[in-house]
Amino acid sequence: MNRSQQLAISENGFIFDPTTGESFTTNQTGLAILNRLKKNESSMEIALKMREEFEVSLEELERDVADFIDHLRTYGLM
Amino acid sequence: MREIIVGVSGINAVDNPGPGIGVARALLDDKDLNVKIVGLAYDGMEPGIYLDWLIDRSYIMPYPSGGYDAFIKRLEYIKASFGLDFIIPNLDSELPLYAKYSEKIEKLGIGVFVPTLKQFHLRAKNRLAEVAEKIGIKIPQTEVVTSHDELVEAVEKIGLPVMVKGALYKAYRAHTTQQAIEYYNKIVAEWGYPIVVQQVVSGEEMNVVGVGDGEGNSLGMLGIRKLWITSLGKIWTGVSIRNQKMLNAASSFIHTYNWKGAFELECISNNGDVYLIEINPRFPAWSYFAAGVGLNLPSNMLRKAFGLPISQNMDYKVGKLYVRYTYEVITDLQPFQEIMTKGEW
Repeated sequence: MNRSQQLAISENGFIFDPTTGESFTTNQTGLAILNRLKKNESSMEIALKMREEFEVSLEELERDVADFIDHLRTYGLM
Repeated sequence: MREIIVGVSGINAVDNPGPGIGVARALLDDKDLNVKIVGLAYDGMEPGIYLDWLIDRSYIMPYPSGGYDAFIKRLEYIKASFGLDFIIPNLDSELPLYAKYSEKIEKLGIGVFVPTLKQFHLRAKNRLAEVAEKIGIKIPQTEVVTSHDELVEAVEKIGLPVMVKGALYKAYRAHTTQQAIEYYNKIVAEWGYPIVVQQVVSGEEMNVVGVGDGEGNSLGMLGIRKLWITSLGKIWTGVSIRNQKMLNAASSFIHTYNWKGAFELECISNNGDVYLIEINPRFPAWSYFAAGVGLNLPSNMLRKAFGLPISQNMDYKVGKLYVRYTYEVITDLQPFQEIMTKGEW
């Protein structure tokens, strides 16, 4: 099961996993990505939507989203 | 509601805290109960004796190792002099005595809600594999040994480092075979055979406290993740969690063994797997956390024992923080004088 689905995520970027009790913090960009992952959006969909909010190329956004997802995998959250 | 006088042991709220003070607080939190607390202490310096807003009367008890007669005489005396309707024993060393003589204690008009002796023996670490399999949870690779040769063989099989544990007490982490042999000798000298050699599983420490009704049903359970522990390994800060694998194992433990009374399962979570490390047949020292998040386990136990209605809400809030702190009490010398000279206060 994708752990990101069960995370409790607060508006200030505090993330709590109710299954393990682990907590993490992230910035507003990470928060935006996480909230979209929770809605089952793909990394491409996330990058496309974020392009509307950030003045960054799609290529760069795709890379950043992939990096962030790698971080989540490292922490066992994906 | 009639007054119920409850004896609570483990009122040694020190750096290795006993569970008694938390249990007493939880009972007093249930405002529909009319409870008085008797502190059952083993030393005049146990802080609970001096916490008069929680404990109404304290008595020094004979050590359980002193045998049945002295223990029962003391309980009879307490019953006659102050009153005693129920006891919640909170120390490992007392449990065998209460388990063995629960019927005789109940004949004195003192209720107990403890596991049977057969259930109590399930906590032995050499039986952990059997219990874990039955309740559907993993355990670290484990070998039970009774000689140096078997120990060395087990260390080679499991690989260093290993945990070297007594069946009931003591656990050491050995980084070399020589260290494992030293710990083996140390535990054998103090506690006897068998010795358990166990793989070291790294991960997050998480525990569950629960109460079984003795008929296969739960009277509530709460999961905690340790966030901060002391140098003695005692939890100082924690957070309530809902780890379904751990809670399912706890439910299964109650159901499979018709567990009666309080218990704690100590677990380690690693990559989504949950490993059972230890079973404690009593409330843990952090058990007030449950009452604090709306699941009053000591109250449910008492209510079950006295046939009183029990709250049907077995849910609790996840993500609540448990924070211990130290505190000081300034009092007169009189309580200390009385407890040291008369054995009661």
